[in-house]
Amino acid sequence: MGVTLKDEIVAWKTDNGIMSLKGKRILIAKPGLDGHDVGAKIIALALRDAGADVIYTGLRKSPDYIARVAVDEDVDAVGLSMLSGSHKEIVAETVDCLAALDAGDIKIFVGGTIPADDHAGLIAAGVCGIYTAEMTVDDVLSAIDKELAA
Amino acid sequence: MSRALSRVANATVAETLKHQAEHQAKRPDQELYRIGVTGAPGAGKSTLISRLASRRVERGAKVAVVAIDPTSPVSQGSILGDRIRMDAVSDDPNIFIRSIPSRRAHDGLADNTADLLWAMEGHDFDEVIVETVGVGQAEYSIRAIVDTVVLVLLPESGDAVQAMKAGLLEMADIYVVNKADLPGAELMAGDIAATADRRADVEGGWVPPVLQTSSRDADSFAALDEAIEAHRAWRQARVDADQVRRARTRYQVQGLISRRAEELLEAMAEDELDRSPKEIYQALLRQLASAPEDGDE
Repeated sequence: MGVTLKDEIVAWKTDNGIMSLKGKRILIAKPGLDGHDVGAKIIALALRDAGADVIYTGLRKSPDYIARVAVDEDVDAVGLSMLSGSHKEIVAETVDCLAALDAGDIKIFVGGTIPADDHAGLIAAGVCGIYTAEMTVDDVLSAIDKELAA
Repeated sequence: MSRALSRVANATVAETLKHQAEHQAKRPDQELYRIGVTGAPGAGKSTLISRLASRRVERGAKVAVVAIDPTSPVSQGSILGDRIRMDAVSDDPNIFIRSIPSRRAHDGLADNTADLLWAMEGHDFDEVIVETVGVGQAEYSIRAIVDTVVLVLLPESGDAVQAMKAGLLEMADIYVVNKADLPGAELMAGDIAATADRRADVEGGWVPPVLQTSSRDADSFAALDEAIEAHRAWRQARVDADQVRRARTRYQVQGLISRRAEELLEAMAEDELDRSPKEIYQALLRQLASAPEDGDE
């Protein structure tokens, strides 16, 4: 019996301890003014390969818009990809907008260029994970998986 | 409604049946007008829906959009990308968009579309637009669950059209040659019109119109909006609502049975599958007969 791609993926998931992403709905969002979404797309594809259903907002969306899409699509988590330096403001607004829609239970994680000095502040603001460009895709997936399983 | 839909979307067959039993009594009967939009990948279905939905809203309708994208058969994950093409209306409070993965289905829909549409009745919407996965020739299940089927075609897809003549092409109520600013649109529309005419043999039968749309020409979508109204009026006068309801129920029950069968087959131990097809079939029938009880999964 040959080893199929599916077997390989199952093995990879087992190796990485990924169990919970199947059937999870995740919104990958690009808030703010930067137009670089390579990272967002890589994470979106990796999440799909880990079994999640991924919705991508496209570029330059407001926190208000992102929150409404998150609610309409009833996602488990929102991933904000930000390279513009405005992550503190955007996170605070997104948290507020979700709360205003009675959806404070939707988790928020962030990715992109987020200086280490800002990490604690973002966590305090309600972010469940910060995934920067230094991390491997596998590490990011494992971290998201852990957060969503919790 | 968002969370109510998720409960149905993620439900096992047992949970779906339980939900339906609870809601059967207070559920209104088929009030949502259902429009299906189907066509090949890249034909422009999502963009067309966004234009169409804003026309429908201008008419005073509250519109729900169910956009189906394919589930990866390898990872079971999906990228639900239709919404990006609906950016222009994503902000409209009268339009609700839900992206769903096709899951186990291979017929252009999701395996639970019928149950989702069932659950959408009575939720303050007037219409629902269902966008299928990008389809080929034979994925025409959309016909079974919507009132008006819009088939979106591209100019210069002549060969594909030839191939579709025995399948999807026969199922459409309205043909749209999209991206009509590209060369070949007139020719394509003419070819389709020739086949469409042949379908209208019956006295008073519906003659499917062939329209041309282009996102560069906002007015071209007005004709589509009007064609849907015309088809709706024709249906009201000519189509037996009871028959439609029964056909939908049949499709829905078929879906529930086959999902349940797949749930059971997936749960079957490997060595059980070493038996003959007949033995497995009989074992499966026994399991199906012991109807799933509440919370058995």
